[in-house]
Amino acid sequence: MSGIIEVENLSFSYAPLSTVLKNISFEVMSGTFLAVAGPNGAGKSTLLNLLCGMLVPKSGTIRIDAVAIESYKTDDLAKKVAVVRQESVPVFGFSVIEMVLMARTPHFGQLGFESKADREIANEALEATDTAQFALRPLGSLSSGERQRVFIARALAQNTAILLLDEPTSFLDLKHQVGIYDLLKATQLEKGKTIVAVTHDINLAAQYADEVLLLGADSSYNIGKIEDILFPEQIEKVFGIRTFAGSVGQEKFFLPLGKLAKDSRQINSKPNSSQQK
Amino acid sequence: MKELLTPRKLVVRTASAGIVLIAAMFVCLLIGTESISLKAVFHGGGELSAVNPDYEIFVKVRLPRIILAAIVGAALACSGVVFQALLRNPLADPYILGISSGAGLGAIIAVLSGFNWTLWGRSPIAIFAFAGALGTVWLVWFIGRLTGKFHVTGLLLAGVVVNAFFSAVIMFLTSVAKSQQVHATIFWLMGNMTEEDFFVLWIGGGCVLAGILALFNISPQLNVISFGEDDAKSIGVNTARIQIIAFGIAAFITAIAVSLSGLIGFVGLVVPHAVRLVFGPDHRQLFPLSGIVGAIFLVVADTLARIIVAPAQLPVGVVTAIVGGPFFLVLLVRHSKKVGWLK
Repeated sequence: MSGIIEVENLSFSYAPLSTVLKNISFEVMSGTFLAVAGPNGAGKSTLLNLLCGMLVPKSGTIRIDAVAIESYKTDDLAKKVAVVRQESVPVFGFSVIEMVLMARTPHFGQLGFESKADREIANEALEATDTAQFALRPLGSLSSGERQRVFIARALAQNTAILLLDEPTSFLDLKHQVGIYDLLKATQLEKGKTIVAVTHDINLAAQYADEVLLLGADSSYNIGKIEDILFPEQIEKVFGIRTFAGSVGQEKFFLPLGKLAKDSRQINSKPNSSQQK
Repeated sequence: MKELLTPRKLVVRTASAGIVLIAAMFVCLLIGTESISLKAVFHGGGELSAVNPDYEIFVKVRLPRIILAAIVGAALACSGVVFQALLRNPLADPYILGISSGAGLGAIIAVLSGFNWTLWGRSPIAIFAFAGALGTVWLVWFIGRLTGKFHVTGLLLAGVVVNAFFSAVIMFLTSVAKSQQVHATIFWLMGNMTEEDFFVLWIGGGCVLAGILALFNISPQLNVISFGEDDAKSIGVNTARIQIIAFGIAAFITAIAVSLSGLIGFVGLVVPHAVRLVFGPDHRQLFPLSGIVGAIFLVVADTLARIIVAPAQLPVGVVTAIVGGPFFLVLLVRHSKKVGWLK
């Protein structure tokens, strides 16, 4: 059985001599949570934009549901793949429910209005993201964390099998970061969605994702199960920083070791060791 | 806090606004330097031998002018809605991409060249202004394309530069023109209503109405585009197609409005805002309501322009700015708490 997303020999560059992605091949099985990590400029967001058809590959192919991505029309692709970008405040004062309903735009009838079914789908998405209580409030009046949930609700209302997220938690505090990942995990487990999330946080990735794609700045890449990919030597190679790896129960965690961090000397005396707690 | 827009609400609101428009037009028909008796008007035109002055003023002077004001107001307001959505900028108006200076340049060239032919009852000023407006929009669009597919910043900058350049050319031409020609140009630039043939009104009104209906047809997509191009695409909106349709129609109806009445400011900026502040940002509602409110606004403004300094007349553009500005500020202060982007 082949994956719901298949990437074959994918290459991309913005300018002729600066290749961002080089000969990348991987596939994502339906219902998998894939985290994409790597340093700035490694091409994480580029890859995401290629996967949703916003950018066109220089060479190689991307297949969604066994069909080449370029043969999808915009509205057909939007029925397979939903994208969540970093939340932003819209220019005009649309309310939460108005915005989530927009996800149904390709399904609107002749008059340009949503059907009852569209409303039910939107309401479900609000319930799932725990945003129903401010359905009628303008988006601008919400906090960043709440707004990011609404953007996810809109993506859920597209009713797609695949959900792509570009650094969904960058500007959120700890509680909201965890909240978003819990929400993503729940949609993966309950609705069987395939999730691809670009993230800077390898610890959250390790905790929630099934697989990780580690993109290096030198166009190298590694993909596989979390435990096969995320270990201190690998992280040092890709991010150029030493880490302290520990674990709590099943969960591994990585602590970056900056030169001048307060306790870096202490930990450095036994680098890369594991501690059981 | 607002409930969701339903087709029923939309129809009720549009119909109510339409009734207000008709009432406003009727009242404005009765106002003017000459007082008119409705009873006399209903006697009709009469024979050549017995001209009915009340009927003549009512039907041949005031009615066409009021219909013209309604057409121009609706066109400018809806065009303002489009530019604000496409450029995702609440400060955009129909003239932001240089339509005004292009039309102005066309108008002054027509004045200076001294042409005195007419085409379908239109003076060379109107024809040249129309061509200048569309030509400029095309130029700005073309330069904008060079900076990227639909690059808002590139488009805005192109508009600003083209605007500045054409304004300079206009000033140059004004400074070398004879004073009588300058007066005609300046009067046109300030925006002015005149009595038009019913034929011209039919054509202009038909085009504007068709344009607004087409815009209404793509209004759900414009809702999504106001969140940004990438967002709209991933939701399934063919952004390139919608943008070019919306842009083309907005430019076209603005060019019609400008060629009918010169440069009338403020309508395209204030009316969409006012409607948005009161009824919310949904474009399915913004187009019909802005169109009607724009028509009401300009009909009333033009009536004021006719009577304030009677028997002389003010350019209507002066009235729209003087009336529109404070009115808008009141709305802004009263409703700003509800609107996100003001915070």
